[in-house]
Amino acid sequence: MELYNIAKLIMLFFHEYLADEIWTATVLTDKLGLFTAETYQKGREEIIRRQQMELLELSTPVIKIWEGILVLPLIGTLDSSRTQIVMESLLQNIVDTNSAIAIIDITGVPAVDTLVAQHLIKTVSAARLMGAHCIISGIRPQIAQTMVHLGVAFGDVVTKASLADALKYAFRQAGLTVT
Amino acid sequence: MDKIPILKLGNILLVTIQVDMHDRLAITLQDDLTARIVKDRARGVLIDISSLEMVDSFIGRMLGNIAAMSQALGAQTVVVGMRPAVAITIVELGLSMQNVRTTLNVERGVEMLQHAVEISEKGNLR
Repeated sequence: MELYNIAKLIMLFFHEYLADEIWTATVLTDKLGLFTAETYQKGREEIIRRQQMELLELSTPVIKIWEGILVLPLIGTLDSSRTQIVMESLLQNIVDTNSAIAIIDITGVPAVDTLVAQHLIKTVSAARLMGAHCIISGIRPQIAQTMVHLGVAFGDVVTKASLADALKYAFRQAGLTVT
Repeated sequence: MDKIPILKLGNILLVTIQVDMHDRLAITLQDDLTARIVKDRARGVLIDISSLEMVDSFIGRMLGNIAAMSQALGAQTVVVGMRPAVAITIVELGLSMQNVRTTLNVERGVEMLQHAVEISEKGNLR
């Protein structure tokens, strides 16, 4: 407050000179404020980007549930970048575990539209080229309806409503029985 | 110019592709293979592409051709050893590998061939 009064007094006598100085000070403060805001924002965006990458990696586990049978539980939406990761992960696992059957569970996929279905079909085709048959499970009633309305055809890919059914089918394919 | 070696394993011919394919090599392979199928009375052809890091539409078409030619001569074809990256490329490119059977390794490939040969011998319609 004191500084302000002194400044007012000085202003009365040296207003022109002081006006320039005050302008410079104002511009500097502006720039500092802007710089702080930008740095903060960049920091937050970096965190978001890093977390996005982690999420992408975390949410596509491939689980070997039996000798020669893999389960791939998909959680979240399936876009192009995720499909790429899912495909690579699944195919590498097929090679590593020498599996003949892969069950892709889409219970955790909220919406299946033509694009998602296309990604799924691509994944299934790639797995088939590597000699593994795919079963798609976890199809919810709503999704089944949407798929028929959209005219999405999964062709000769076996689809089951629950993971349990898919597993039963897989065991039968592999010639295993539960006693 | 190098030739692609063709090995005989019982009544199955084993072809391992280890070098980059170009036109002449592909045609030579087709010639050699069809001649061998007839000479050895082979019932199956196993093509191993595990050394190929990259497959383009040319090789895709060539594999399809070989499968069709072998079929015409009464032999079944199975392609083995496809790498994940190659499988993804084929799917992304939209190459149709309809008439080419594929599987993971030679062991499964031989099983598959024996199964396919049985079926074709019984004269079942596929």
